[in-house]
Amino acid sequence: MKRVGILGPGAIAQTHLAGWQQLPVEIAAHYDLRPEMAQRAAEQYGGKACTTLEEFFAAVDVVDICTPAAAHKENVLATVAAGKPMVCEKPLARHLRDCEEIVTACEQAGVPLFVAQVVRFFPEFAHAKAVIESGAIGKPGVIRTIRAGSFPRTLGSFYGNFAKSGGVILDVGIHDIDFQRWCMGEVERVFARGRTFAEPERDHALITLRFTSGAVGHIEASWASPVGQWRTRLEIAGDEGLLEWDSEGEAPITRVTANESNTGKIRTTLSPYGTDINPYKAELAHFLHCVETGEPMRVTPRDGLMSVKVALAAIESVRTGQPVDIATFQETSA
Amino acid sequence: MSTQPIKIGIMSFAHGHAHSYAASLPKLPNVTLAGIYDDDMARGEAAAQRYGTPFYADPADLLAQSLDAVMICSENSKHRPMVEAAAGKVGYILCEKPIATTAADGQAMIDICARTNTKLQIAFPVRFSPPIQWLKATLERGDLGQVYALQTTNHGSMPGGWFVDPALSGGGAVIDHTVHVIDLLRWFWNTEVTEVYAEVGHELIHPGLGIDDVGLLSFTLANGIYGTLDTSWSRPASYTTWGDVKIEVTGEKGVIFVDAFRQHLAVSSNKVGKTQWRNWGSNMDLGLIDDFIDMIRTGREPSITGLDGLRSLEVALAAYQSAAKGQAIQLHQR
Repeated sequence: MKRVGILGPGAIAQTHLAGWQQLPVEIAAHYDLRPEMAQRAAEQYGGKACTTLEEFFAAVDVVDICTPAAAHKENVLATVAAGKPMVCEKPLARHLRDCEEIVTACEQAGVPLFVAQVVRFFPEFAHAKAVIESGAIGKPGVIRTIRAGSFPRTLGSFYGNFAKSGGVILDVGIHDIDFQRWCMGEVERVFARGRTFAEPERDHALITLRFTSGAVGHIEASWASPVGQWRTRLEIAGDEGLLEWDSEGEAPITRVTANESNTGKIRTTLSPYGTDINPYKAELAHFLHCVETGEPMRVTPRDGLMSVKVALAAIESVRTGQPVDIATFQETSA
Repeated sequence: MSTQPIKIGIMSFAHGHAHSYAASLPKLPNVTLAGIYDDDMARGEAAAQRYGTPFYADPADLLAQSLDAVMICSENSKHRPMVEAAAGKVGYILCEKPIATTAADGQAMIDICARTNTKLQIAFPVRFSPPIQWLKATLERGDLGQVYALQTTNHGSMPGGWFVDPALSGGGAVIDHTVHVIDLLRWFWNTEVTEVYAEVGHELIHPGLGIDDVGLLSFTLANGIYGTLDTSWSRPASYTTWGDVKIEVTGEKGVIFVDAFRQHLAVSSNKVGKTQWRNWGSNMDLGLIDDFIDMIRTGREPSITGLDGLRSLEVALAAYQSAAKGQAIQLHQR
């Protein structure tokens, strides 16, 4: 049974730990720059709270890096040096040169790294990929996705700090950039408009992609929706058909009641999953399976790098108002 | 988690659900499909090859394989002889719905299982649909206050084959599609149907079919709730999906609409010539089989009993009787 260690047991780590708990692994160790965070995770999920990285790496077989993106590089490089296969939360890193160092280090040392682009494991999105593979819609020509919610205020001010988070494009849009690359292939150029530099806590972006296949993609990434609103939408059109899904479309459950003053209605919808559907558990199970069998991972370090590159190029396009060519893109300002 | 090895046999692939159940077995730890019997040799041999398990032309040979359980997916009228062959040879039987084509057959199956200490479960997988489970929990909490009425449908496509041969199926749309929803309602409230009135139509949708293809049941439950159920094979080949299970509840504090399978991608393919809904929701057949295996592992009583199967069959039979007499039929009056 593999011993799992969590580097940076913060918000996303809670979701990962809930997934790890359902897998045949031992949650063995936690490390955080804030020792009280490691202590709290150890008390809640078992394993020990480590005070040094040496102690941490000695206690684990695989590592799950859940720190903020800006700290990914140093943690990945330390894990590579320790020779432990790892999961790294998205985005792979805050800056392109950090991604390049990560990819080079993993390739040279032959240490497996799985980038937790979890959207590939959501049932709607995984089924869409399978439909494309089946040939039912022919060769895909245009893809549109939406990922829109309110600013994640409850998780602290981190997301509003562009230097740390990269704004809505690097935090939210990267899910769709990764998914669209998975479905459509490599991106040739990007054009984007957004509010990244206008109002970080109501950031919003509309991104246009051109793929090397000639296909076109559109992404809406938003932190500008009202509190409580969350929407994803997916549409892929090919030369033989179309597939569509919208989280705001008809749901399996609709409930209508009167409001408190009995002057109008409250309508709510729900789409519950069974216990067989847990995208976070599924991505971790996939990682474990690949580590044990040596099979290729669904998301490679280079996928992680390319998604960051396209996201940073989109941010550059927002800044300059110009289209950005991906092959020649250099991150100029950090 | 107990990993006591479990050996399962399947008797007949006449009902297509056998494939879904067979495919569920390897997803569960230490569960083996140990063999297949089918009175249609070609069908049975094809299934045995597909699932990598032996085919037995004689049911006695399959039942001699030290099985823990069998799953019976034959034509409805053959459920009884197969249960009679298996009872006592295995400790557990999962029988496809409806339990039988006559109440006498259903009762005989329950009796022989009781005499031989064999646990009989009927396959009502919709109990394992997450939206349906949500509805049950919501009703049990009393969120709607007093429930007045239910408007339900279990529409389907016309299945053809033995389903339209009364000697094998016991009837058409009414016997095929009454039992799922009636089972759910009995389960929600631990109640019985006390009166049924039905309008049954023959060849209204499928000319020359020779059996009922439309059924509209109006019923009352012992708890005072009244409702209707449309069992019609009314989804044409050009429709988006095979059918539906919809339950709409009107109560004192509001209304709830549940459309159990509305978790899908809409896929329009020129190769198919129509738009199809591809479900990505939880696998309720896997839920059913997981529950059945859990019963074997723990030795507990079935979650869905032979009596549950018989009671829902009696409602379908009463619907035919009502249509023949032109009046409501009383049943289970206390």
